[in-house]
Amino acid sequence: MQLLFNNLKGDRLIWAIAALLAIFSFLPVYSAASNLAYISGDGDTFNYFVKHFVHLFLGFAIMYGVHKVPYRYFRGLSMVMIPVVLVLLAATMFQPETSESLTNTRRWIKVPIVGFTFQPSTLASVVLMVYVARYLSKIKDKTVTFKETILPLWLPVFLVLVLILPANFSTTAIIFTMVMVLAFLGGYPIKYLLLILLSGVVAFSLFILIAKAFPDAMPNRIDTWASRIENFANGEDTEADYQIEKAKIAIASGYIKGVGPGKSIQKNFLPQSSSDFIFAIIIEEYGLIGGLFLMTLYLLLLFRIVIASHKADTIFGKLLVIGVGIPIVFQALINMAVAVELFPVTGQTLPLISSGGTSIWITCLAIGIILSVSARRQEIKEQKEREDNPLEILSETI
Amino acid sequence: MAVTEKNILKRLYFVAGCMFIFALLVVFKLVNIQFVQGEQYRGLAEKRTLKTVDIPANRGNVYSADGSLLATSVPKYDIRIDALTPTAKNFKKYLKPLCDSLAKFHGKTSGHYQKAIRKARQDKNRYFLLARNLGYSEYLRFRGFPMLNLGAFKGGLIVEQKTKREHPMGGIAERSIGYERFDEDGNVTRAGIDGAFGEQYLRGANGRRLKQQIGKGQWKPVSDANEVEPQDGYDVYTTIDVNIQDIAHHALLEQLEKYKADHGTVVVMETKTGEIKAISNLGRNTKGKYYERLNYAVGESHEPGSTFKLMALAVALEDKVVDTSTVVDTENGILTFYGKKVRDSKRGGYGKISVAKAFEVSSNTGIVKAIHNSYKDNPKKFVDGLYDMNLQNTLDLPIIGEGKPVIPDPRIKNGLWSGIALEWMAYGYNVKVTPLQALTFYNAIANDGEMVRPRFLREVKEFGNTIEFFDKQVINKNICSKETVAKLQKLLTNVVEKEHGTGNGLYAENFSMAGKTGTAQTEYWMPDWDENKRYISSFTGYFPAENPKYSCIVVIHKPDVSVGYYGADVSGPVFKKIAQKIYTDTPIIDAIEDLEEKHVSVERSYETYYDVAKTYKTIMPDLKGMPAMDALVLLENMGMKVRLQGMGKVVKQSVTSGSKLKPKQTIVLELS
Repeated sequence: MQLLFNNLKGDRLIWAIAALLAIFSFLPVYSAASNLAYISGDGDTFNYFVKHFVHLFLGFAIMYGVHKVPYRYFRGLSMVMIPVVLVLLAATMFQPETSESLTNTRRWIKVPIVGFTFQPSTLASVVLMVYVARYLSKIKDKTVTFKETILPLWLPVFLVLVLILPANFSTTAIIFTMVMVLAFLGGYPIKYLLLILLSGVVAFSLFILIAKAFPDAMPNRIDTWASRIENFANGEDTEADYQIEKAKIAIASGYIKGVGPGKSIQKNFLPQSSSDFIFAIIIEEYGLIGGLFLMTLYLLLLFRIVIASHKADTIFGKLLVIGVGIPIVFQALINMAVAVELFPVTGQTLPLISSGGTSIWITCLAIGIILSVSARRQEIKEQKEREDNPLEILSETI
Repeated sequence: MAVTEKNILKRLYFVAGCMFIFALLVVFKLVNIQFVQGEQYRGLAEKRTLKTVDIPANRGNVYSADGSLLATSVPKYDIRIDALTPTAKNFKKYLKPLCDSLAKFHGKTSGHYQKAIRKARQDKNRYFLLARNLGYSEYLRFRGFPMLNLGAFKGGLIVEQKTKREHPMGGIAERSIGYERFDEDGNVTRAGIDGAFGEQYLRGANGRRLKQQIGKGQWKPVSDANEVEPQDGYDVYTTIDVNIQDIAHHALLEQLEKYKADHGTVVVMETKTGEIKAISNLGRNTKGKYYERLNYAVGESHEPGSTFKLMALAVALEDKVVDTSTVVDTENGILTFYGKKVRDSKRGGYGKISVAKAFEVSSNTGIVKAIHNSYKDNPKKFVDGLYDMNLQNTLDLPIIGEGKPVIPDPRIKNGLWSGIALEWMAYGYNVKVTPLQALTFYNAIANDGEMVRPRFLREVKEFGNTIEFFDKQVINKNICSKETVAKLQKLLTNVVEKEHGTGNGLYAENFSMAGKTGTAQTEYWMPDWDENKRYISSFTGYFPAENPKYSCIVVIHKPDVSVGYYGADVSGPVFKKIAQKIYTDTPIIDAIEDLEEKHVSVERSYETYYDVAKTYKTIMPDLKGMPAMDALVLLENMGMKVRLQGMGKVVKQSVTSGSKLKPKQTIVLELS
């Protein structure tokens, strides 16, 4: 244990936040599991507990492994991974439709042999962010024309987005936003960004038109988005409204202190109560206090990401930290905003808290990358210190 | 595109700031929901998610006097299938095996089911019936059928459970055991004992449980325990004796079938206590089969005919206006009152006979004359006499639908009284009583004048503990003087014993019975009576005659006159059969002195066995002459294997005595 602890590199606070979130996540996941267990009839909630534990354990293993990798390797890795991700996404999109569940089937891919399902779009977002960070850092000293950037930067971006879009609009939108933010931070000319934004909107409209023209090609997803957005705008009574109402009932019944662990009632009615609407359930059970605590953790994470970026030794490092870090916090905020009806229903999970392997592992991967960057900084510092004054180090350790 | 670190950081602070503001917005909205809109949503929370569910209490059982189950509640299952639920693959794969199983279960062809279920799927039938009213074990079998064993969500299995009241004894006494049935409008039909004591004892009280919704159509209990525990109904122990009931049922059924009668009833009552030991009511359905149709014994008031002569004479004897030795003139067997004729069944009548003989031969004219002579000037007195013996009252039975007795009274202007009412009453017309009421009177005579109420219930129990015990209820301590009772008992005995008695056909040497035949015309007011004569044949009495234990009434309505219609012929044999069977079924020896009689040879062989077993442990004993049973036990206890040849005692052993034995050695014993 001690050895493991000594081997932890990078920002200790980020480690601590991740660990706190992970520990906290057991409470709502375990609570939500009671209904699943009751319905399935065996009454065994322990299974869900074990499953979540395994997910988290693997996640932290990924985090540990990744943070040991010097971050400069991610440059090249992202180049290799882009085609892999594209293939995976295409495979997911064109997989034969199974009748097991009618919704969301095309977001998931079943990994052969191991047998669990995996959501490639989540992986794609991280890979894409690293790729964009790499590109931006590469051109940092050059003046580029818009034309020059299309092929190496925007083509991969749009390819990824196009492959995700039919199954998952909200993820596409978030990735797009994040890429834009990263490009903005990376100093990409703002006028070009506006141009990209415009073309993005045009492409999206075109896609909608095509989908409407050939409704059989894209089964019912578009209707769902359309109704969700319409619904958010005019407040008609639909299924999304039902979810939101339940979420609000959950938040209201939680009040300041909450009804207590496992005592949530609305978890019974909120579909996806252990993932999409978990924030509402947390507030119902742990009250405003629990909600604010969680919010604080994410904001603290944001703060540490900014610090890590600040301290990163290279432009690539800075952009890398921002590129993979900001989306975590952003996604958390979106999830919370949905629960309080500040945002239309999107289906985004609460990173590290929601159950679901893919989401947990990819978040851990991202945090691992951030830690790798901050570990590098530590290394440099230590190296310097060793070179500078060994005695000082000695005195520090004593 | 010169990017400096500073530049990046500046922009990063901006983005982080935006996100922080966004976070603040979320918090603001959160607080808004909790504090501003909070009340509204908290109100919704309760309204939408809780409901109270009734938990039905288990209905108590109905038992016979000896604890046999007469009525009980059992779960029954209806199995249906949602033909749309199974996936195309599963449907294809499991349809045939499922239909094979169904075919085996129901005995129709597999193809028939395949066609039907395919059609159901085509028609989008989500509620296709596969089987109804299955017992629990059959239900379990169904659950194991292919496709159905995939469960509700994959296989489309739909199970509906309901509780059904069953009578394990079958159709026997079904009507008297009864039921309590609710229709859709909440109206209730209560028949028999089950109906009568349903509300009071059997039903119990439903429990309540608070349930919380967990998604569409699914509710889970809020707490571990029920909010209100259901209180199960009490068990009711009736007075019915299954053996006597069985005898009565079959004796009646046999006779009904023989005489092709419309319906009939038998009641057996314990003389001292009034406990109803058997009650059977059989009516014919359109197919000519008999079943427990209506509770005739309790509900059907009819003109009793000659049976009522006992009541008439009881009044006259009690008033001392007539004695058994009083001589009456039967006048050629026809009496005329106001143009109406009273006839004897014997043409020409009996001449001048005593009242006693008139009763024994059941002479209508004789009894009518005696009553007419005594009461013609003061018929009120006769009616009062009947009243004094509680004949105008119902028996206040718990069973619903008891028929009311009808007795004309000259003081009551209800159109029943007429100039001939007195005379017609004397031989059982113009009056109406139910079989049970008539039996109660006869039982009172058998019971030396003490009239007891017929009783169906002995005890009410909960988990074997007595809640309520029912004792004998006396209606009238003395319906008449001991003297009168003795005279009447003698008359009833003579009906069977005397050769001229109408019931002499029942006479048996080894046991005594007493009773009165009755052959009443019925529906004689209808125009077609002359060509289609209808009678009510009955026999009412008790046995044994000298020390009555049971009284019994047999009433058979509308026997086929071509076969016979006299009470003595139609109903008498049923009575006799019941009496005889009950009589012969009663053990004559009460206890056997000593079961543990010692047998010398058994004693001796046990001693030898015991000695050998003590001495020999590893050495072969001499077993010659020992019973095979003992030898076998002995050797096997020593750990040997034994093979026997033949039967009886040991004559030869494969190992000579005194030689050392190896463990598990096989020894062959020859027996003879």
